[in-house]
Amino acid sequence: MTTTDDRSALLRELGLDRQNHGTIGRLLAVGNVARAEDGPDGRMKAQIRINADELAFDPAVLVLPHGGTVDLEVFNDDLNTHCMLFPSNGDRQFIWLVNHSRGTATLNLDGPGYYWFSSPTGNDEGRGLTGAIAVLGDTPPEARLDRPDQPRP
Amino acid sequence: MTVEYVDAGHAINQGDLSGKSGDAPPVAQSVDYERIRNARSEPHNWLTYYGAYDGQRYSPLDQINTDNVKNLAPAWMFQCGSSGLIAGASTYSFEAAPLVVDGVMYVSGWDGWAWALDARTGTEIWRYKHATPFDVSLCCGNVNRGMAVAKGKAFYVTPNAHLLALDAVTGKPVWDKVYGDVRAGESATVAPLVVKNLVIVGSSGGEFGVRGHLDAFDVDTGEHQWRCYMVPKPGEPGSETWPSDGEAWARGGANCWVTGTFDPETNLLYVGTGNPAPDFDGGVREGDNLYTDSIVAVDVDSGQIRWHYQCTPHDVWDYDSIGECILFEKDGRKLLGHFDKNGYFFVVDRTNGQLQHITPFVDRIDWGTITRDGKVTPARYPDKEGDPVHFFPGPAGAKEWTHAAYSPKTELFYVPVQDVGATATRRRREFKESIPYWGAGVQVDIEDMAGSVSAFDAKGQEKWRWRNELPMCASVLATGGDLVFAGEPSGEFNALDARTGERLWQFQCGSGHHSSPTTYSIDGRQYIAVPVGWGAWAEGFLPGMLGAGHGSALIVFALPESS
Repeated sequence: MTTTDDRSALLRELGLDRQNHGTIGRLLAVGNVARAEDGPDGRMKAQIRINADELAFDPAVLVLPHGGTVDLEVFNDDLNTHCMLFPSNGDRQFIWLVNHSRGTATLNLDGPGYYWFSSPTGNDEGRGLTGAIAVLGDTPPEARLDRPDQPRP
Repeated sequence: MTVEYVDAGHAINQGDLSGKSGDAPPVAQSVDYERIRNARSEPHNWLTYYGAYDGQRYSPLDQINTDNVKNLAPAWMFQCGSSGLIAGASTYSFEAAPLVVDGVMYVSGWDGWAWALDARTGTEIWRYKHATPFDVSLCCGNVNRGMAVAKGKAFYVTPNAHLLALDAVTGKPVWDKVYGDVRAGESATVAPLVVKNLVIVGSSGGEFGVRGHLDAFDVDTGEHQWRCYMVPKPGEPGSETWPSDGEAWARGGANCWVTGTFDPETNLLYVGTGNPAPDFDGGVREGDNLYTDSIVAVDVDSGQIRWHYQCTPHDVWDYDSIGECILFEKDGRKLLGHFDKNGYFFVVDRTNGQLQHITPFVDRIDWGTITRDGKVTPARYPDKEGDPVHFFPGPAGAKEWTHAAYSPKTELFYVPVQDVGATATRRRREFKESIPYWGAGVQVDIEDMAGSVSAFDAKGQEKWRWRNELPMCASVLATGGDLVFAGEPSGEFNALDARTGERLWQFQCGSGHHSSPTTYSIDGRQYIAVPVGWGAWAEGFLPGMLGAGHGSALIVFALPESS
């Protein structure tokens, strides 16, 4: 049995948190976690990077405090070309990122829930370039069931 | 030394890289209540989910008929496989009923997709993709049953229980309303129904112990107009059918996850409701559990229940009554026909809910019996903890949500039949919000099964049966060409003679059918459209085909232009 505290160390020991050690690629969503910055008007912003030779997003898990619009600044600091495909209401947002490039993206997400984003080229997605955007919060009051509060897990 | 970044610009819509053509002609602008009410007078279109408010899934189009259907061939195909990780990645299925308005097709897919297509060529005009949380609760797959169109807008629901109104010309959102709580396990799969100036939708999530409801929104503004709960609160009519202590009612199910029908003369919506929760453990909800497993008549203006008929009181077999309520007239009477998951065909007077007669429509029914005058006697059900009980039909029902059709020309109902059993073992569990709440372990048979398209008259007398080795799990379509179209789980799409059941034509579509085919015409040429894409909760309705390949194609057939 692995405890939460042991998790990072064990992933490291097994070589699952980097490229071509334990497995061929890097296990998904074992990277960094970061919060988006919440603006005064409720609009959020964050940065996502692809670091050199990691084939992972940094952060691998971006947390939005609530649903709404988030402005992303994205960087490819790798020595290879990648791209990013993000979920967003209306259509997925796509950006092509040659080596050492910077771009932006604007996403609108409902939440609560979490969404995947990735680099859909070659098998970047399987090697590790699949990340998550976790949206916190609750369904609007007007959409909730008329019933007493219920127990949750 | 710092090296400047290459400017990658701003992310763009993925659809801009798809070759889609732009805006649709404004064909939906003039679609209003009067046109939908008289939908059968413009048979070149398929204006609403069932083709017309009566739910008959019948088109008078007769260019394709029993004589020439042998020449039917694909006219075009639209394929819509997706990229990236999606919710229910192994359970997506293409289940929609394509709408057509004056040459433009509006069709929804799984995971929040909607498209406008050129109905003559299949060319994509626009797309809309609502972002779907990967972790949304989906009891029965990542599916959507279709769209509604009115007053220049195209409406559909998303897996995370949003109702969207899109501009039917551009595909851009006009309004977006949330009507379900994903933290409670609610979701949405229903095709909306437009009646008067209302868009009407129901909730999904009966396997998670929610409280089912029907909602109406203003077509123009999206303003919420009314909500009708299908499980009464303590003190309300019907609450006496739930335990007086505890909160079983609050988790009672009765979701309206399939589109209702409507009679402008009675001003009533006819809605089938889903199973009670927990599905198989009746011990925690003694009583009949209204209005679960019921045909419910709802006043469309007020959202008030006017009458109900419960098909399976105190259900412990997962026998939702969400099957379509087909409106028809016989001997001057306004009647409603309903094929229920419990294996019986119900005919009621739709003005007051008075039962006319009940007839079994599948060979094997051993969960219990219902007499022709409505007396219900359960026989086999999961009652004792840990004691496996086998019963027919299984929880997918003798007919699943997929629809029967009625031809006013032949005066026959055509029903896709599933003859499959299952074993349920009661396993009581504590209720926790958003966790599946079945109250049993369930295993559906993978052998000893059968299926058919069966034809019945209004009295419930079987007139013919087209037999299949596998259960029939897709909606059927009846046409004025005296044809019945029916897809098989193994991919074959068939045309049957509506008067004899003889198979006249077949095409292998490459994936199983679990959708609702429709028909339309453009410049006098009739088309048959069928979404094809096996998936959804196959473990529940046909686990023997759980390993069959998924598909994601909309195939449209027509006669050769020279014929």
